[in-house]
Amino acid sequence: MRNHFLLLIVLLWTVGCVRAVEPQPQPVVRYELCNKQATAEVQRLWTVLCAEYGKRAMSGVVANVDWNTRETENVYQWTGHYPALNVFDFINIHASRDVNKQGWLDYSDLTPVTNWHQAGGIVGCMWHWQVPANNGTNYTCSPGSQPGETSFDPEKVNDPSSAEYKRMIHDIDPVAGYLKKMQKRGIPVIWRPLHEAAGNSTEFEGGGAWFWWGAKGPEAYKALWRFMYDRLVNYHKLNNLIWVWNSQMNDRDWYPGDDVVDVVGRDNYYALQYPLAKEFKQLQAEYPNKLITLAECGSGDEVEMSLWTKIWQEGSRWSWFMTWYDYNYNAGTSDEHRFAGEQWWRDAMNSGLVIDREEMKRLIESTK
Amino acid sequence: MRTYRYIFTVLLCTWSLVALSVERTILLGPKTIGKAWRDNILIEARHFREVKAGDILTVYNDRAKGMAQAAFQHPKTWQGVAPEYGCFGVAGPFRMTLTDSILSIARTYGVILGGHDYRILRVTVTDAGDFQETMVYEGPSVQMKNDWSVSADIPGSCFETLTVGDGLRLHISRVEKDAACKLMDFTWNALAPSVDGVAVGGDSYTWYVYDRAPLLKLQLAGYGTRTAMRIGGRGYRLDSIGIVRQTGEVSEDLTDAQRAPREYTLAPGELFRGERPFPADWSGNLSLTAAPFQDCTENDVLVISYRLDTAALSAGTKPQLSVRDNRWHEITGAQEPVWYPLDGTDVVYLFNATALDKAKTRGVIITGVGFTLTRIELISAQ
Repeated sequence: MRNHFLLLIVLLWTVGCVRAVEPQPQPVVRYELCNKQATAEVQRLWTVLCAEYGKRAMSGVVANVDWNTRETENVYQWTGHYPALNVFDFINIHASRDVNKQGWLDYSDLTPVTNWHQAGGIVGCMWHWQVPANNGTNYTCSPGSQPGETSFDPEKVNDPSSAEYKRMIHDIDPVAGYLKKMQKRGIPVIWRPLHEAAGNSTEFEGGGAWFWWGAKGPEAYKALWRFMYDRLVNYHKLNNLIWVWNSQMNDRDWYPGDDVVDVVGRDNYYALQYPLAKEFKQLQAEYPNKLITLAECGSGDEVEMSLWTKIWQEGSRWSWFMTWYDYNYNAGTSDEHRFAGEQWWRDAMNSGLVIDREEMKRLIESTK
Repeated sequence: MRTYRYIFTVLLCTWSLVALSVERTILLGPKTIGKAWRDNILIEARHFREVKAGDILTVYNDRAKGMAQAAFQHPKTWQGVAPEYGCFGVAGPFRMTLTDSILSIARTYGVILGGHDYRILRVTVTDAGDFQETMVYEGPSVQMKNDWSVSADIPGSCFETLTVGDGLRLHISRVEKDAACKLMDFTWNALAPSVDGVAVGGDSYTWYVYDRAPLLKLQLAGYGTRTAMRIGGRGYRLDSIGIVRQTGEVSEDLTDAQRAPREYTLAPGELFRGERPFPADWSGNLSLTAAPFQDCTENDVLVISYRLDTAALSAGTKPQLSVRDNRWHEITGAQEPVWYPLDGTDVVYLFNATALDKAKTRGVIITGVGFTLTRIELISAQ
């Protein structure tokens, strides 16, 4: 009897110990879209992104400058898989043939986007929003007083009588038109405008904004973000957008707000596994009810990007990643992809830790 | 006797012409210019003492990556020796016309040749006469107004023979004060940052094509009569355009050529090997990225090997070194820098938690005085 009693005590103690080291269930975070009128297509994509968050990352590339899927072909050639996401850039809207007869591309022709969507790819759009430079001939995003830069003032978003305000409307509305066409064709869009606003102003003393939309500080920037959100969502009734805001780290005062942001992104070209893991954990702690994504990445001037398996092993759980394009590689004048080449993509696609286009298509289908 | 003297004089003049017109090597590589503007080499001042204004300095190179860039910099200010030489692309031999103002810097301090992602093979100086010019555009002349509103449309046929290494010479007149030129592609964007409003003077301006990117932009427009290039600017008249190409001989006499320091292949664990002086003026630093520290643990050590600088010692300099983070703060997190006195051959550096975090996040900088750094090795406790 005494032995049985001792045995019972040992058993209870053992069970207690096992329970003590069991992983505690994580609090279930419910990630919600800020636009309650989001289309069914957006909701399906959102469901997949949320379900996969922390388990696998969606693979992605950016277009070769503007309106194509050129970079996806590189990945396919190297690995036999297409990345799931292709991000287009409205960088050259001033040269789109529907607004400029002498232009060299046509954003109103949705063929590259619809082809990609019909193949099962996820569509992303970003906007290097170029405005007239001080010299009156060029277009640029770079703020400043030099002839090739622009002194375009984002604070004028609060002044409807100003030339800047009118220019903003003049530029946003055509972009809204392209996005509206996508909505009509049932294409959800991961939308990342006004990116990297804080520049390196929060990184070191003397740092500053890289783009005009960050040149007047966080208040003007947030007003501009909200103005764009209102113009696209409420005025143009665009419900096919997932809104991605870019953090430059330690820039909480630049955050436009939970009600107008779905995903918090980070761009990093010092993409080593240790600093990436630190940044992911910091953003996750700061924005616990938002998905966190590696919105731009690649090898930088100083270091080569760590392999995806190393990045994941270190603890990063980015919702997706998007590698940058190499114009020279795509033009055939460089043998080596500057940002993410064959070795990097082979590792990523063979890691079992990323989602390619085929898998994404299957996951989206499974939500129907 | 007078006949002999005459023949001798003629021979001497002929020899002088031949000897002076050859391309003369002043620096012999290889010298690797690696990533992120970390590497450079000083072309010594002595090479410029016999050079005259108008001569051409050429840098032959290889292993240029797609986005390789170079610069000719003032050794004291680190600015470009002229605005257009502060930063430009590289994909073949690149050149600089040695003007009076550049020579005044070069003869006093020399010129720093830097950049990233290419390898210097040889640097030469050539007489301007060894470049032949072929006219490709002879008008109509275009007067550039002061408000930058005018430009000349140049057809693609003018550039059919243009290749990397050639120069595009704009012949100009009626040059006003603050005249500037802008070379653009057919979409009105500058062909390269170095020709986005560059100052022009005299009767010509020559732009050497350093890389393929501007050629690609010209080719995008197509050839024939289609506009491939737009030349704008202010305060001058464009009269004609020629393509200049080198035609002279190359001298194999390397007697006075400067040699680049020997380069080593790094062994596993080595982060640096070579000869990096840390002189008494505190100008010696070595920056290491975070990449080699990614798998480090707290018990790993950094062995920093050096050789004491006898000249600095005899001048009373106290040899010492310090390890900083990439913002120049003490890497251990201490308020004041920790200085390691140097009295042997190496320093064995142990990481604490703060130092390790900083090294893995943004890398380290080694700074100090009175020694020559010869090797850095990262030894894993594993």
